[in-house]
Amino acid sequence: MRMIEIFRAVLINIKENKFKVFLTSLGIIVGALTIILVIGIGKGSQANVQDQFQRLNVGTLYIMPNFGGQTTETLGVEDIEAIKEEAPSVSNVTIMVSGNADVNYAKTSASVSIAGATEDFQNINNLVLAQGEFINNDHNEDRKRVAVIGAEIVTMLFEEEADSEIVGKDIIIKGKRYEVIGVLERLGGSMQGFNPDEGIIVPYDVAEKYIVGKKARTRVMALAKDIDHVSDAIDEITQILSKVHKGKSDDFRIRDAGSSLVAAQDSAKAMTLLLMSIATIVLIVGGIGIMNVLFVSVKERTKEIGILKAIGARKKDILLQFLLESIVISTSGGVIGILLSIMIMPLMKYTDIRVIPSFFGYGMGLVFSVATGTFFGYYPAMKAANLKPIDALNYE
Amino acid sequence: MDQENIIYMKDIVKAYKMGSNELVVLKEASLQVKQGEFVAILGPSGSGKSTLMNIIGCIDVANSGEYRLSGQNIDAKSEDELSAIRNKEIGFIFQKFNLLPKYTALHNVQMPLLLRGLDRKIAYEKAKDVLEKVGLGDRTEHKPLELSGGQQQRVSIARALVGDPNILLADEPTGALDSQTGKEIMDLFLKLNEQGNTIVIITHDEEIAKKAKRIIHVKDGHVYQ
Repeated sequence: MRMIEIFRAVLINIKENKFKVFLTSLGIIVGALTIILVIGIGKGSQANVQDQFQRLNVGTLYIMPNFGGQTTETLGVEDIEAIKEEAPSVSNVTIMVSGNADVNYAKTSASVSIAGATEDFQNINNLVLAQGEFINNDHNEDRKRVAVIGAEIVTMLFEEEADSEIVGKDIIIKGKRYEVIGVLERLGGSMQGFNPDEGIIVPYDVAEKYIVGKKARTRVMALAKDIDHVSDAIDEITQILSKVHKGKSDDFRIRDAGSSLVAAQDSAKAMTLLLMSIATIVLIVGGIGIMNVLFVSVKERTKEIGILKAIGARKKDILLQFLLESIVISTSGGVIGILLSIMIMPLMKYTDIRVIPSFFGYGMGLVFSVATGTFFGYYPAMKAANLKPIDALNYE
Repeated sequence: MDQENIIYMKDIVKAYKMGSNELVVLKEASLQVKQGEFVAILGPSGSGKSTLMNIIGCIDVANSGEYRLSGQNIDAKSEDELSAIRNKEIGFIFQKFNLLPKYTALHNVQMPLLLRGLDRKIAYEKAKDVLEKVGLGDRTEHKPLELSGGQQQRVSIARALVGDPNILLADEPTGALDSQTGKEIMDLFLKLNEQGNTIVIITHDEEIAKKAKRIIHVKDGHVYQ
């Protein structure tokens, strides 16, 4: 029989059993929908990770004291000088200190996190200025009270000012007057322990002297020459610290940003994998549903199969008719699933879950639907095709 | 074996297993039907005539014996080859019509040609011609359940005729019809036989059998020519 005629027979059958076909395809609809959403969520969480780390150099190393230990060794400017001179795998190094302080401007006041930093802080963290300039070494040496403010701080303190007027204004931090010399572009993510969007950066020495005090938590950030030198850099820094702090290098912790990026990517991947397995289970259940209905259908249509065989239908004709029926049902289930997902995905923005629709997702939804229909339709179709004409014809 | 034998059967044995017992339905049955004959196979129910008919029609196979249809050895055929033989050599007419309820009369009659792989247009012309020949030219778009018993049997005869088979095989073709309609159907068979079709009718009704040119009796699995 020609394919077009087999297809026509399939459509006649489906038309006769619309409701049954709909119930059968429900499992596939839900399965396809799940797959598309899962892929969307997977892509969403990957994008989240990317956003979080996009401004981050993967070669960044964080060195910080081990708090809670017996000793209270702190990091200081002499450490970064030593690292700068003696660690060949390190291209850049800066020190940073952070804490909270009250900030006032006009009538507005707020508690804001303050970081004290040096010139290199900007490069290491890929900070981009929207206006003005960043803190430089002269500011540090002269202990100038200048401040670079984050994007959120602008909206918080300078509601009524035009953006271009902010640089040059004075703000009050912990009772002292600071000149705003720069405004940062929005980063969208946070680095270790300090969110530049919601913080103010002042010269390191100024922060130590006026804001956070001598015993503040200092932290050193270093940048490895490239990603391949990260472990060399860690070794060198460990040796240098051990020399400077006379064998107390255990009092410091060194973490590299690359490994936290990898960890975040891994957990996003793990989540996608988990969701994928749920979608697979849904599809298998849907497939078993199709198989059941087809078995019933083969039983119901045994007589019809007998008649067809008596007037000359070959095995292939019967097999294809049932298999195609399954494929048509599952394909339309897949298409309905895709349409549903297109309707549902915009609603996901009202939840915390980020979903990114993609043609890859739609494609996978469709491919898996068709594959399920083919796989689970094959066995019943084979059963129908293998019926003996005499038995099928006499079946009542 | 002469060429003009359409059906040549020798020592056909068919047995069914019923639990541990073996029920022998056909005991070394032999028969021949020649080109252009109109034969009635007459026997009471349970005589084995339906089994004989199923084997003639290649929808069942014998356990042993020799069967040639239009010169082809049926015993050695695969299932798909048998399908092709049923499609081309045999036109089936069943007691209960066995039409496909979802298809129109025309589509039902087209089916043997479509199964053969013919184009739908060619099948359409052919089916329409045959339906007119059996007197149903105005009922082509009706579904079987919208037709009377006699009309359904005419559709089924049209379906049997459409593929130009070598033999028409009818299993109690009047069994589900009232006597007047039954007579009309038998007249149609006579007419078809006059036009050169070879016809084998299975029946338990002597009156029907008498209309045929030759009667073959079947009793307790034995065939008496």
